[in-house]
Amino acid sequence: MTDAHPEQTAPVGADVPLISNQNVMMNISLIKEYHENWTKAQTQAFVSAGLERLGLSHIANRRNPALTAEERFCAMLLRAAMIRNALIVIDRPFQIFPHLQDATFLLGALDGISDLFMRCFILDYCWMKDKYGALCR
Amino acid sequence: MHGLESTGKVIISVVDNLHDTLIFSGKVVRRLLHPAAYNRATRNVLVNQIYFTSVQILPVFLALSVVFASLLVGIVFQSLKTLGLAEYFGHVLMGLIVTELSPLLTVLLITLRSSSAINAEIAVMKSNRELTALEMFRIDLVDYLVVPRIINGMLSMVLLSSLFSIVLMASGLLLSALIFDMSVDVYTNILLNSTSFSAIFIALVKCAVYGFFVTLIPIRFGLRATRELTSIPITVSRGMVNVFAAILIIEVLSLLTRLF
Repeated sequence: MTDAHPEQTAPVGADVPLISNQNVMMNISLIKEYHENWTKAQTQAFVSAGLERLGLSHIANRRNPALTAEERFCAMLLRAAMIRNALIVIDRPFQIFPHLQDATFLLGALDGISDLFMRCFILDYCWMKDKYGALCR
Repeated sequence: MHGLESTGKVIISVVDNLHDTLIFSGKVVRRLLHPAAYNRATRNVLVNQIYFTSVQILPVFLALSVVFASLLVGIVFQSLKTLGLAEYFGHVLMGLIVTELSPLLTVLLITLRSSSAINAEIAVMKSNRELTALEMFRIDLVDYLVVPRIINGMLSMVLLSSLFSIVLMASGLLLSALIFDMSVDVYTNILLNSTSFSAIFIALVKCAVYGFFVTLIPIRFGLRATRELTSIPITVSRGMVNVFAAILIIEVLSLLTRLF
């Protein structure tokens, strides 16, 4: 029997940038508005709640160039989580925040919105496995 | 022989370009007629586009319209008076200025302000891989980027050209009183008697066609940008040259429509 709503790939990575002429709120809202026809009020409430859980309410009206690497990653992650039954694929996350020494921040962000997606895969080079610590053992 | 070869290459390139534009137009028209293209995201983009193109421009557009309209009507009325052709001023105002020059001046203003911006915006999005990002989220580029901009282009052209015509007629009212010592009633009667509704219909259709192409061509050229940032000014420059060529072609075609 097939699932009525199978998992859908939702990419996060430096090669899947935010739209630069839209703020974070619009970037994230777009997914629900386009695929599920949500109203602006519905999406804004939902996205605001998501940003609040990540402690990033203040970036809602900022555009991509004004974000720090961590804020940019969280915006991309939340955008991916907007896909229904999201199977989030994070492609080489340390390309987005190369200055971080380990994956603590990444895992914290995933924990913060863990109910918004089905599964998550992190793809990276094998020589980066030290950065992921216990995740790779 | 070399000259002939170069000419042939140029002709092939022009025909290819025209063919590509028409194929892309066909694809866009099909999406324009498809109800599924009008989801919430597309409608939001449309509202934003109408605000940027038609509302934000209003103060500047009105100021320019008053200046252009007063100059144009003033010169034409003064010339008609000098030549002793004052009785034709209604036909000149409606037949030439309102239905021909008004759409042309409006399309030039919209091209300078909006077409160039659309071309650069799409080229930057392509260069930054933002279009790839949209595709990876299964967002149809034609539905999300092209359809709202095209509808906005057509709507804005019709509305702004109508506004320009209203300003022209208001200027005509003022200047006819000054130059021909004409009352409001006489002016209104002359305008109504000189109005050909088929000409107004053709002018409105022409505005919509202008709006379609001055939006479609910049988008198509913007989509040709590559990953290199240096491709952005090249695509914008080529796009704008093609937009001006399209304006000339539409103007000639509309003239032919009037002749036959």
